[in-house]
Amino acid sequence: MILKTNNLCKKYQHEDGQVNALNNVSFEVNKGDFVTITGASGSGKTTLLLTLAGLIKSTSGQVQINGFDVISASDRKLSEFRKDHIGFVMQSFALIPYLTAIENVMLPLTLSKLSKDQKYKKAFNMLQLVDLENRKNHLPKELSAGQQQRVAIARALVNSPTLILADEPTGNLDPGLSSDILHLLKKINQQENITILMVTHSPLAAEFGNRKINLINGEIN
Amino acid sequence: MNIRKLVWLEFRQHKSQLISGLLAITLGIAVIVGIRSISVVSEKAVAVNLDNLGANILVLPQASNVDNYYAADIDAPTMPEEYVDRIVSSNLQGVDNLSPKLTRRTMIGNENVVLTGILPKNEVTSKPLWQQSGILGNELKASCAPDNAANKSNGFEDEKLQRKSIDSLGTNECLVGSVIATKLKLAEGNPVDILGEKFTVGRVLNETGTIDDDRIFIHLHKAQEILKIPGQVSAIEIMGCCNAISDGLLSKLRNVLPDTRVTTIGQIVATQIQTNKMMNKVSLIFLIIIIFVGGISIGNFMWANINERHKEIGMFRMIGFNKSIIYQMILAKALVLGILGGIIGYILGTLSGMWLGPELAGLPVNPIPMLVLVSLSISIGVSLIGSIIPAYLAGRIEPFNIMQED
Repeated sequence: MILKTNNLCKKYQHEDGQVNALNNVSFEVNKGDFVTITGASGSGKTTLLLTLAGLIKSTSGQVQINGFDVISASDRKLSEFRKDHIGFVMQSFALIPYLTAIENVMLPLTLSKLSKDQKYKKAFNMLQLVDLENRKNHLPKELSAGQQQRVAIARALVNSPTLILADEPTGNLDPGLSSDILHLLKKINQQENITILMVTHSPLAAEFGNRKINLINGEIN
Repeated sequence: MNIRKLVWLEFRQHKSQLISGLLAITLGIAVIVGIRSISVVSEKAVAVNLDNLGANILVLPQASNVDNYYAADIDAPTMPEEYVDRIVSSNLQGVDNLSPKLTRRTMIGNENVVLTGILPKNEVTSKPLWQQSGILGNELKASCAPDNAANKSNGFEDEKLQRKSIDSLGTNECLVGSVIATKLKLAEGNPVDILGEKFTVGRVLNETGTIDDDRIFIHLHKAQEILKIPGQVSAIEIMGCCNAISDGLLSKLRNVLPDTRVTTIGQIVATQIQTNKMMNKVSLIFLIIIIFVGGISIGNFMWANINERHKEIGMFRMIGFNKSIIYQMILAKALVLGILGGIIGYILGTLSGMWLGPELAGLPVNPIPMLVLVSLSISIGVSLIGSIIPAYLAGRIEPFNIMQED
């Protein structure tokens, strides 16, 4: 087991009253799983992903990733943990506009003790994995949306993470490119045995996972 | 890829922002350096000009009357000539020339004359008006700086040498003030009888408009002999550097010669102090303005930059950059701005000082290397202080925003 949540709750105060974004969410994920989290807009999918990564604090409950207690960890420990164990893929790609493709991929290695050459080699390997080695010196604006997302995936993989958290990775892509990206994620999951948790509202994308979690009003259905 | 490279690449990406941020700090530093460069030169010029007015400190025996500064030595009580050596050996900074004298009223024919014994070279040095009369052939200029070239213009490499008593007035020669020369109808080469001793007029001094026009000057040691006051003087005139006077030279002299009265011309010292204070105030005012305006400008620039990079910083936080790394990145940028602003500001300020100094103050301005350090300190300090709040706020950017903004 690589991830475990237990009675995870997240409540927001809103002017209309209290919102239960997550309500007693408990589930487990094993190494090598490709879990898709589905649900309608506002069902708490992204909130769940953010809470798992320790990017927002839960109101109550527990989250453990590879034995690391995400809920009680300090900001510094959480940063360290994310750097070493979690890769992120987002809908908007979140690439740094003034860095080339390979520099973007190297970004999570900035704080590592690897040599310059080692960092470069690792990043280049990841670009090869996503078939973008010949675009390594291109800026994001010089790449198509699909290529940008592939760079983001390479960046998520470069620190050999325990877990990849993907938030609507195909949300900004047309159906053809979406399919490419989903196949790429599936390939990574199967070949590299990397665990993936992917939030999506697309039923088609949800089919790429080997397990589905459906959220309705913050609760697992 | 490392933090330094990341900061550099970000700089390169936002060149126009960099230039506008740099402009505020650079101009501020340039103004400070420009004003300081001119004011340093002008302070020195004022000091030299005031020194050129002549001796400005008078050491008198304790019982003397100092109602009239310029005639206080006449018929004053006496004190040992050895006091001159005491001052010289005390190595006080800012004592540029010592002129011991012994003065008494006497009669020549039917005329009442003031007879003053002097050590000739020291006397000439302390009297700029005499320097133009060509008595010694060389023009002397006073200077506050011990190593100033003017101190060597007489061929003396060591400033202490300049203070030594030099005999160049013959033992039976005298210098005659213009008014008394007219009254006694004396001309160069004429004999004159003083207290039963025969003297020859070595030179008739040009009219100075001072009390010296009524005096006859002979060598101090001859005066001591014929007045029968051996080894005694009635006053020691000192050319004190005005800066040194304002820094407490008078009290230091009083410590060296506790049984004397040490007095000065208040106006001269007051003028110097006032000038220095004004220059310092102007520099201080600009320093305060630059700290406020420069700090706010840098802070504003940094904050705008951080707002623009909100998603980027959120991304850094998400992939594992902790708050202190974010602070480091922002402050490293401020440091670079500070260093560039300090160096460019120094160059611009120095160049404008060198250009405006002669135009506005009529003074040649030279670069002051020490101001590089001052510029860098102020520039880096202002940059870092101005960036503290933006850096703190950048560290508080929550990474989840970039996911929720999708």
